[in-house]
Amino acid sequence: MADEFPFEISPMFEGERIRKDNMHVELAGPKSIGFELVRATDMKDVEDGKFTLIGPDLSEMAEGSRYPVAMIYKIAGELVETDLESIVERRNHEFQNYIQGFMHLNQRDDVWLRVSKDAIKKGLTSFEPVAKAIMMLFKNELPFIEKVEAVYITDQAEIEKEIDNARAVYKARDERTKGLHDEDVDTFYGCTLCASFAPTNVCVITPDRISLCGAINWFDGRAAAKVDPEGPQFAIEKGELLDASSGEYSGVNDLAKRLSSGEYDRIKLHSFFEYPHTSCGCFEVVGFYIPEVDGIGWVDRDFAGTAPNGLQFSTMAGQTGGGKQVVGFLGIGVNYFRSPKFISGDGGWDRVVWMPNMLKQKILDSIPEDVKDKIATDENINDIESLKNFLKEKEHPVIKRWVVEEEETIEEEEESQPSEAQYYQPMQYVPQQMPAGFMPSMAMMGGSGSGGVKIILKNAKVTVDKIIVKKIE
Amino acid sequence: MSKITTGKFSLEDLENVQITINNIVGAIETKAEEEGVEMGPTPKPGISSLRNWDYKLLSRYQPVYTPVCDQCCYCTFGKCDLGGNKEGACGINMEAHQAREFLLRVITGAAAHAGHGRHILHHLIEKHGGDHPINVGPSNLLAPNTQMVTGIMPKTLGDLEKVMDYVEEQLTQLLATIHVGQEGSSLDFESKAMHGGMLDHVGMEVSDLAQISCMGMPKSDPEAPLAEIGMGCIDSTKPVLLVIGHNVAGVTYIMDYMREHDLDDKMELAGLCCTAIDMTRYQTDKGGQPRAKIIGALAKELKMIRSAAPDVIIVDEQCVRADVLDEAKRLFIPVITTNEKIMYGLPDRSKDSADKIIEDLSSGKEAGALILDFDLLGEVAPRLAMKMAPIREAKGIKSLPSDEELKTLTASCVQCGACELVCPNNLPIMNAMTAAVAGDITKFEKLHDHCIACGRCDPVCPKGIPILNVIEKAAQRAIREEKGKMRAGRGQISDPEIREEGVNLVMGTTPGILAMVGCSNYPEGTKDLYTVANEMLQRNYIVVMSGCSAMDLGMYKDEEGKTLYEKYPAKFLAGNLINVGSCVSNAHITGTAIKVAAIFAQRNITGNYEEIADYIMNRIGAVGVAWGAYSQKASSIATGCNRLGIPVIVGPHGSKYRRALIGKPYNEEDWKVYDARNGEEMPIPSSPEFLLTTAETIEELMPMIAKNCIRPSDNNMGRMIKLTHYIELSQKYLGHLPEDWYKFVRVETDLPITRREELLKILEKEHGWEIDWKRKKIISGPTMKLDVSAQPTNVKRLCKESVC
Repeated sequence: MADEFPFEISPMFEGERIRKDNMHVELAGPKSIGFELVRATDMKDVEDGKFTLIGPDLSEMAEGSRYPVAMIYKIAGELVETDLESIVERRNHEFQNYIQGFMHLNQRDDVWLRVSKDAIKKGLTSFEPVAKAIMMLFKNELPFIEKVEAVYITDQAEIEKEIDNARAVYKARDERTKGLHDEDVDTFYGCTLCASFAPTNVCVITPDRISLCGAINWFDGRAAAKVDPEGPQFAIEKGELLDASSGEYSGVNDLAKRLSSGEYDRIKLHSFFEYPHTSCGCFEVVGFYIPEVDGIGWVDRDFAGTAPNGLQFSTMAGQTGGGKQVVGFLGIGVNYFRSPKFISGDGGWDRVVWMPNMLKQKILDSIPEDVKDKIATDENINDIESLKNFLKEKEHPVIKRWVVEEEETIEEEEESQPSEAQYYQPMQYVPQQMPAGFMPSMAMMGGSGSGGVKIILKNAKVTVDKIIVKKIE
Repeated sequence: MSKITTGKFSLEDLENVQITINNIVGAIETKAEEEGVEMGPTPKPGISSLRNWDYKLLSRYQPVYTPVCDQCCYCTFGKCDLGGNKEGACGINMEAHQAREFLLRVITGAAAHAGHGRHILHHLIEKHGGDHPINVGPSNLLAPNTQMVTGIMPKTLGDLEKVMDYVEEQLTQLLATIHVGQEGSSLDFESKAMHGGMLDHVGMEVSDLAQISCMGMPKSDPEAPLAEIGMGCIDSTKPVLLVIGHNVAGVTYIMDYMREHDLDDKMELAGLCCTAIDMTRYQTDKGGQPRAKIIGALAKELKMIRSAAPDVIIVDEQCVRADVLDEAKRLFIPVITTNEKIMYGLPDRSKDSADKIIEDLSSGKEAGALILDFDLLGEVAPRLAMKMAPIREAKGIKSLPSDEELKTLTASCVQCGACELVCPNNLPIMNAMTAAVAGDITKFEKLHDHCIACGRCDPVCPKGIPILNVIEKAAQRAIREEKGKMRAGRGQISDPEIREEGVNLVMGTTPGILAMVGCSNYPEGTKDLYTVANEMLQRNYIVVMSGCSAMDLGMYKDEEGKTLYEKYPAKFLAGNLINVGSCVSNAHITGTAIKVAAIFAQRNITGNYEEIADYIMNRIGAVGVAWGAYSQKASSIATGCNRLGIPVIVGPHGSKYRRALIGKPYNEEDWKVYDARNGEEMPIPSSPEFLLTTAETIEELMPMIAKNCIRPSDNNMGRMIKLTHYIELSQKYLGHLPEDWYKFVRVETDLPITRREELLKILEKEHGWEIDWKRKKIISGPTMKLDVSAQPTNVKRLCKESVC
């Protein structure tokens, strides 16, 4: 099969970089124009395997030259739908890079391609085998594509005519993605790909919740489930909405029960404290509850310092993951900050009190205006006391919770310790078991009471050669 | 009760009462309980604790011995000929004796690392105190091997002592079984060897954790600096101080002295073997640059000495040639031994004054000295080098022949072949002699790269030609070009890195992890390592290096003059090239696999060896390769990997221990595990196909690596990419489709995407599989089905009770 192309195709060429001195021709890129576009088309309007080139072919391009390029693929099939276009389109990048001597960077109307001198030497003279290879790979990877046809354009005027149309498609797609929420669909997708390492983990992927690893969104899940409904990505009937704010659905709960062999039976998609989503271990960010301020802090993998609770990313991350439901810590992908349902079950952004500045800058656009300046970062806040003051000073919405709490817990406090931890609110928000080493109560260890016999020794010398410590049966 | 500690106590309330507690049994469990950690079933396992696990491994991967020698010479009841199923005077048979020989190698290797670990730990505790914290980078699991094996979660140097106590005790128990009249079963000897291998990784881990924490070595640092490597990077116009060995403790005093006395630029500090690696790690954790240069691995020792460039030689321990002192004497290079393991019969000068020692050595009164006091060593070594350089220069000391002499020497060769006969690599020395006579020295240049400088050729030459010197002289041009770069050892792989890489491992972007370890002496010289590493890196494998092979890889450059260390980034990510560090850093390679289990599956690590090994064996596609020779240490490292379910491939030289652990892919019964969800049996692919085997050529090696990264739990994306590389590498290097590729196909999505249709056709035509061509789906044929949620395990107790 591979012999029919004048080049090798393999994932091993994916990382291949073609530098200027080994470049025969550059296509599109920052100094030219171009785009790639996949369109779902009616079966009757697609001629399977057909390739059309408008403009000069590779053989007509002089060494060292630059041309614009547009790559349009029309796909058709019983299961093909507009929502899947972007999924197929993204593969163009991956697959073109499989071709030895062919480099594809970026996507959509930012594409930037180079063809190497070596590839030309080995007999690559036309775009036709490139397009044919890509079409073959599309069909191999996504067999719901029954027919595919490619049109490549290297003529500047022709591309200029088409590019606005392409941009309009991108825009419509983005709006669709942005406007699509959990409540707009009947089907979520489950992903068990990482069960190969995290055997008990199940990711639930919804329009408002990208997979934890960040690699699979709802559209990816949809495409994969169409390819193989019994594969590792599968449809979940979302069932009945049980709790809108925390995102609890009967269909998701059923799945949780089934796939965890009954280990847990509820998953709230957008909750931090109650039945949170499990995580495998790939998470980019871990959230941690700060009981002293009743808020949530977030720390990302790249942050090497310690959070206000005195812990590092790796220490907190070590508490969660492995497909277990752990309360008090939550692993997420950076993209989940961008979800409109971001921990909606627990007050969303109003509950967020701290994150490293680098992380904050990365997602600044997604933070609601009214709390943007009220979230502390490592730049100025590194301990609980100053965090408290900062939040008070900035009137962070979380302080409203403090007042309520003071009233609620006043009786208890009279009984136990006075003052000090006025805002300290122990287990109340934390219905499930806390992980060990998490609560600050650790610090209070030591003064354990003992009762029973009192032995008085005088003038004695006790030598113990061996003490055997055993669990009390 | 939780506050009980060992020691002497006087209590305030008690008059004149002194309590002494010597030992607390169950302290590890109690400590774990205090810290909220669940203790697994086998903290500090004894020889029999993991025997069931070993037997499971050994029933699938059966030992194969092809002994060179049929005799046992262990005691004077014999010698005994064990050939032809005969038993020895003690009753031992051939298999058991072979396994015993191997056990001895393993514990010798493990003891070398553990001895090193104890020495450096003892030294560092004396210097920094037992409460000095272990600091190895941003990780939750500081000591994965230690915690998994012993159940101890060390936080300070002092905690590590208890770990060493355990390792040493177990090694003694193992050594005892070598004695006549002990074990009689070959499988139990094998199980003991695995125990020794496991201990080795703990001992190595202790060594490296201690030195990383105290010596400012890179802490899980992907940006660890590049160090210079190669004989060509030494400026021999300066005084040259050469260090050989594996234990950097004493050398750091030399480095400190040099810095304090502003000698860094005035002399060359160069190293051979792992001490060299650790010298370049010393004090580079906070952006410091390496202050020493690396000559290379063991194979360069004699070459470097014979070059006559060193003005002083310091040796510490392990992999140091036994004839360093004799060789050095001839060239008037004083030798200082610094470690009890190597003393060369030299007088102990540890209590003498620096001036006196320098006087005695520089005058030639003594050929060397034993100095066990590091402060003294720190001063003597650099001062002596500064003093020796002009003296040796004035004496005009050289060892290599002149151009004229070279001509005469090569012309005197009578082509008798004695040299080639003793050469471990059977190198074409006679040919090179003939060519040199005709004025072509390129053959000698090639010999130089392949020659491991063992020096066995010299004494056998009937014409008295100093053959090694001839090779080195003829290769002077090549040697001057020998300048490479090696990334300084970075230490552990941090938890955050593993989390980041998780996506790649799951999505198949990373087809596997290749650890290239072991010693020099590759069939085609250093280029072999380069070719394999480069090929696998291009294919997005994570390539992990350590010790000698980490050095040798840095010796080879591409057309652009770049080494692979300069070409590939050094994170724990797909397509990255990592140097963990010296020999003892090998523990971080297994440590990483253990961390994967802790991080992604939240498995309890503590004292839970079997479960973690089971996880690694079924899920983590890692393969070790020891392409060169294979010291006892290398064999214990490999055996430690084996017990964790990580397969190892050795090259033609490593095969000389003549033992393999090989599975039988055709025996279906061997390839079944339980599904932990319900305890039912499930078939698995025959991969890893072996725990220890041999490859003869790199062409054979590369597809083997790809294939043995396949694991039962692969999802379709992972399997697809692994199969892609297996098939491609086989076609590229062996010229044909591998004959068993179809056995790893469960569904059509396992097939390499670039050739799906072609392979479906073959499945239909040659293997009779049914294909639905419209949907390009496999209808029937595969013997296994894809179920990523299945939980393969070899350990019945880890299964949930069957529902039905």
